[in-house]
Amino acid sequence: MEKRKFRSKKVSERITLAVIYTILAIISIVWLVPFFMLIIISFRGEAVGMSADYLFPKQWSFDNYIKLFTKTKFLTWYGNTLLVSAIVTVFQTIIVLMTSYALSRMRFKLRKPLMNLMLILGMFPGFLSMTAVYFVLKEINLTQNLLGLMLVYTASSAMQYYICKGFFDTIPKSLDEAARIDGASRHTIFVKIILPLAKPIIIYTILTAFIAPWGEYMFSSFIMLGDTDKYTVAVGMKSWIDNATLMSEGYFSIFCAAAVVVSIPITALFIWLQRYYVAGVTGGSVKG
Amino acid sequence: MANVSLKHIYKVYPNGTKAVNDFNMEIQDKEFIVFVGPSGCGKSTTLRMIAGLEDISAGELKIGDLIVNDMEPKDRDIAMVFQNYALYPHMTVYDNIAFGLKLRKLPKDEIHNKVVEAAEILGITDYLNKKPKEMSGGQRQRVALGRAIVREPKVMLLDEPLSNLDAKLRTQMRAEISKLHTKLQTTFIYVTHDQVEAMTMGTRIVVMKDGFVQQIDTPKNLYNYPANKFVAGFIGTPQMNFFEGTLLKTGENVSIRFEGSEAEITVPYSMLYKAKPAYLDGKTKVCIGLRPEDASLTDEKANGGNSVIKVKVSHKEELGSETLIYGDINLENDSYGESSTRIIIKDSGERELQAGDVINVALNLNRVHLFDKETEQCVLPRIPEYNYLDCEVKSGKLRFLGAELDLPSAAQCPDLKGDLLIPTDAVTFDGNLKAEVVSREHMCGVNLLSLTLNGKRLYAVSHDCDEGKAIDGAGSTVNIGIDFKKITIISDGEKVLTPMPALNQFACSFVKRKSVEEVEESGKTKKKKRIRFGFTVGENFFEASEENSQKIFAALGIKKAFTTGLKMECGAYDLTVSDSGIAASVMEALDYGSEKFLKCSVGENVVYVKCSEDISGDIRLLPDFGKVGVVETQREIKII
Repeated sequence: MEKRKFRSKKVSERITLAVIYTILAIISIVWLVPFFMLIIISFRGEAVGMSADYLFPKQWSFDNYIKLFTKTKFLTWYGNTLLVSAIVTVFQTIIVLMTSYALSRMRFKLRKPLMNLMLILGMFPGFLSMTAVYFVLKEINLTQNLLGLMLVYTASSAMQYYICKGFFDTIPKSLDEAARIDGASRHTIFVKIILPLAKPIIIYTILTAFIAPWGEYMFSSFIMLGDTDKYTVAVGMKSWIDNATLMSEGYFSIFCAAAVVVSIPITALFIWLQRYYVAGVTGGSVKG
Repeated sequence: MANVSLKHIYKVYPNGTKAVNDFNMEIQDKEFIVFVGPSGCGKSTTLRMIAGLEDISAGELKIGDLIVNDMEPKDRDIAMVFQNYALYPHMTVYDNIAFGLKLRKLPKDEIHNKVVEAAEILGITDYLNKKPKEMSGGQRQRVALGRAIVREPKVMLLDEPLSNLDAKLRTQMRAEISKLHTKLQTTFIYVTHDQVEAMTMGTRIVVMKDGFVQQIDTPKNLYNYPANKFVAGFIGTPQMNFFEGTLLKTGENVSIRFEGSEAEITVPYSMLYKAKPAYLDGKTKVCIGLRPEDASLTDEKANGGNSVIKVKVSHKEELGSETLIYGDINLENDSYGESSTRIIIKDSGERELQAGDVINVALNLNRVHLFDKETEQCVLPRIPEYNYLDCEVKSGKLRFLGAELDLPSAAQCPDLKGDLLIPTDAVTFDGNLKAEVVSREHMCGVNLLSLTLNGKRLYAVSHDCDEGKAIDGAGSTVNIGIDFKKITIISDGEKVLTPMPALNQFACSFVKRKSVEEVEESGKTKKKKRIRFGFTVGENFFEASEENSQKIFAALGIKKAFTTGLKMECGAYDLTVSDSGIAASVMEALDYGSEKFLKCSVGENVVYVKCSEDISGDIRLLPDFGKVGVVETQREIKII
């Protein structure tokens, strides 16, 4: 007892840290192994399919990447996904920012009910409405069409207002009021005062708006069913996995190469905008 | 550079909280008005309503000659400085100041000149290229002021601009804002909770509490003539001493008794002449207020002992230039807590005092303030409301102050001896009693005349517009009369004669009427539908003017306007007997000598109408809608 009581603070701190770091290390290994495998397998030169019982390639090569862009439709899919994601990002960002500003600054009768409704709707998984959405799109001839996909992705973007509104709430209202007295309209206030102060949250919104359609599978597989030229990367790559013959012909390493290529833009975006992203999330969460 | 006029301004929140109640004020051009009061008193809300950042629930706000109730802030030609400065953090100081000008699309060189000029006035020329976060609080507030002054507004609104600064900087900025006001010659409206700021800066101060205006006056008058206990306690440090006690008038003297103390002080009645009569009966509790500087240490014998009271010292605060002595007039008590027997004395600190010493304190009762214990209203007003006199009625003649007047038929009462209350505004200047003017004081737009009638004191007020009646001032003689419809006669505690009420009230409602009219258009008669809005009283419909309808809609909303219970208010002079109008039946004809009135019943209400003819039976009354007021019954909000 006596001993424990007088154990130095430094020692106990070190022990705690050691335990914490060990746990973190284990978690990150579990986390990183799949990515590591993916990258290694993508450089495999020999065609062995999924059943290979070894990890490191016997023959290192870039063949998979070359094949990916020359012999498959991957480039088309990649282009489709990029196009859809880019356009969705633009519209979604605008809609989210505007919704958040309105919900943060304006007071109207249905404000609270509307916010609650969006919160509750957000709790339902999106695919519940998939069949209905499909039939609606079919009626207006937008199935197997990238425009339809963009429409579906953009349609519910206003529901992402939450974090962004939280950020706007932290910008003092007296700024709006001062600008109003200075003669600014709502629009001018939004564009000239609020947006320049909301850089972190704009970046955050752009990132989330881009990532969601980039990796989305369910809706696109449903809407694009049957038209391989309109596939997005997720749908296209899933179609490879589903095809056992392709897999056995060495498409597995091509699949891994594709996965690496797909993750490049997001990784790059994240590394570039990381500091804003963190500021956006935490800034919004203080008074969310 | 404009007047600001606030008439019956209310702010009522959707949950029913009244933040501002019936705010009335005329702000003259170039005034420096300060709204002061504890937090939550509605001062900022009022300012924000003037700025247009907050909707006005009811009432009329004018800036210059324009009604601005529904105008956007930017069109009101005002500028505002906020407590947290509200500078745009991403812009440089230059851009901050120029923002409003750029939005108004002024040419670039003009903007530049104005910004530089404003920066020079405020001494921030060196910081023009800095961002707000690189600056200190005082500098930021200067930028905020600069942003306001470049717009050359008609009215400058300042919402606690100095609260975020430290004490030294605050004193400095206070002087600078005052200087700025002199330099710009603009109307300033300044909100603060700091009474020192209010007293040092304002030309007039509005003291507010719980949404109600307590008093509007110059700093000096607020200090010397507080209208109620709240104002008396709020203005001045250390705060005024308040004691509980009673006043008893015996002959020409009044004795003041303090609760919790043996002390009794006798003063001549002339010192308390303006006190409301009901409080001089020795029973009604009053709150006696005396400022710390009006109490001084004394030697009992030297003073004669008339206004000297014994005080037990409990502790003192040495402030260097002066000493505050805390004591208690109840010799059993200590005075660490605030109580109705504690007294603070401002003293030079020459005398060495120990806790527990009993000292003699002379009270300067010429400067005493008296308040009602319950309502906390001042009962020693600057302008007395009533003359409280002994009177006698004998065979239709009223005798008071040695004069005799015939009572008109409407004011007849049986023979009696009693008290007579003559409101100071019921003394007219067209009768045939001769009175001498002792003094004339001008305040708050009226003249208070101190007259003597047969050697006895009588107060009267005359409005500036009566000045033509040649009241020359002290020493002259005037003819006076009494307006009998305003006097009260009391005998044995019962009111024998009551005055005629100043305002008639009757229920009304706001309605919409559709009608089809035939209009001639290019030779053809066309039927056109027309919707009219108006008030109904009983079965009568009175079309409301466009302005009045809008006021109703603005205050009540479109749906509620037609369902809310309303009251119409008008004076006896604003109703005329006519062929059409509100049905009424005459109950009595009242003859007050120079004027005649009819007492009528309208539904359940009793209404008085000026009418020079004797009419009886059923009549119809036509209100003068230019002067009629409309009040919402439930919330007692005056809408028109």
